[in-house]
Amino acid sequence: MPILEVTGLRKSYGSTEVLRGVDLHVNAGELVCVIGPSGSGKSTMLRCCNLLETPTGGRILANGHDVTSATVDINRLRQDIGMVFQQFNLYPHLTALDNVSLALRKVQRRPKAEAEALAQVALEQVGLGGKARSFPAELSGGQQQRVGIARAVALKPHVILFDEPTSALDPELVEDVLNVMRDLRQRGMTMLVVTHEMSFAHAAADRVVFMDGGVVVEQGSAADMFERPREARTQSFLARYGSRRS
Amino acid sequence: MTGGDSGFFFTFFNLAVAKQYWPNIAAGMLVTVGVGIAVVVTGTVLGLWLAVVRALGRRALALPIVAFADIMRSLPPLVVLIVLYFGLPALGLPLSAFAVTWLSLSLVLAAYAEESIWAGICAVPSGQLEAARSTGMRWWQAMRWVVLPQALRRAVPPLTNRVISITKNTALGSVVALNEILNNAQGASSYSGNPTPLTMAAFAYLVVFLPLVVLSRWLEQRWQRR
Repeated sequence: MPILEVTGLRKSYGSTEVLRGVDLHVNAGELVCVIGPSGSGKSTMLRCCNLLETPTGGRILANGHDVTSATVDINRLRQDIGMVFQQFNLYPHLTALDNVSLALRKVQRRPKAEAEALAQVALEQVGLGGKARSFPAELSGGQQQRVGIARAVALKPHVILFDEPTSALDPELVEDVLNVMRDLRQRGMTMLVVTHEMSFAHAAADRVVFMDGGVVVEQGSAADMFERPREARTQSFLARYGSRRS
Repeated sequence: MTGGDSGFFFTFFNLAVAKQYWPNIAAGMLVTVGVGIAVVVTGTVLGLWLAVVRALGRRALALPIVAFADIMRSLPPLVVLIVLYFGLPALGLPLSAFAVTWLSLSLVLAAYAEESIWAGICAVPSGQLEAARSTGMRWWQAMRWVVLPQALRRAVPPLTNRVISITKNTALGSVVALNEILNNAQGASSYSGNPTPLTMAAFAYLVVFLPLVVLSRWLEQRWQRR
């Protein structure tokens, strides 16, 4: 059963149409990677899924609930849809532990001790149990992004959206973050990942979605997409990406 | 010591005059401190509230706030004071000198505080609000726990300077006969025919405001560290 189901999703800014009818779904426990050139609408599509952007048309079902329906409690729904940002967006005035426990306390109204215990567990899951008292500025980019993942994981969402989670990282720190994501996949977390890490998508994704010009051009298993792409646009994108990688 | 020196001391540091009038100056200090504290509290709270309402992003709410802030920052505080003191009774709302000084300076401080805090809010990257909202926080929760703590940290240095310069304007209350330091000193100086009470007023202002200046310096350094 799909945890996330996007149908005919459209988004325009003024007269500029960024999404022109996107269809995709993510099943429970799946890791789906979205690839495509910049400006193809990948991030906009992702941000529509938790209503950081308001779609101009189409439908998004998260665990069966219509995200765009006027009657839906979006704040309730967002707790079930975690998000990890390209720029981490950690709260700089709070420690790693407080970054992770804030929503547990203020949104889920858990007592401080319980929220901090859950936050500590989430930090340990991403290998940062020892950094609970550090402020974001005292952490490396890779560590900051892992705190960002812990912040999403701690709320025990049904699905986590990743918006180019490694694009702002130094190359030597990328692998730490990808390993945490592989580990999440092993634990059965459902994930929708917009990424430029082709080798990660190839090796770790259950399915790969190629977007270009505001539509899904092609999707399939990682092996099919990378080794036997059918569409010419997919082939040329992968060829360019392949040639750029050392 | 020459006769000229003793004349200087007789004029500005006259012990007999000082002894007679120090209770007036002390009473004036209490009023200055009282109206000063009242202005700081209501002015910054009102400014914070206006900045947050402006951050809601509704044009209909933002426009009057911007207009208020710009008008209050353009008018000399003395003019605000006089207009309210002589204007409010005409509207059937006569207020005491204390209340009018409090109200006028609070409005002026609120305008500056709103601008400082608004600038602080604008300087917080939009990703902060997005991250907070993505965890299910309501707008005001994200504001309260994520955006405002960062915005206020940025707003404190410009704000402390404003707080000092506007609370010093309590001296303007003397114009509407508020019995604060300057007014009492001028009265005492007329009665005694000697300017020593004005010297005392200067010292009284130092006693009240120098600690505030030192405190603001400490605050600025402490808040900028992080």
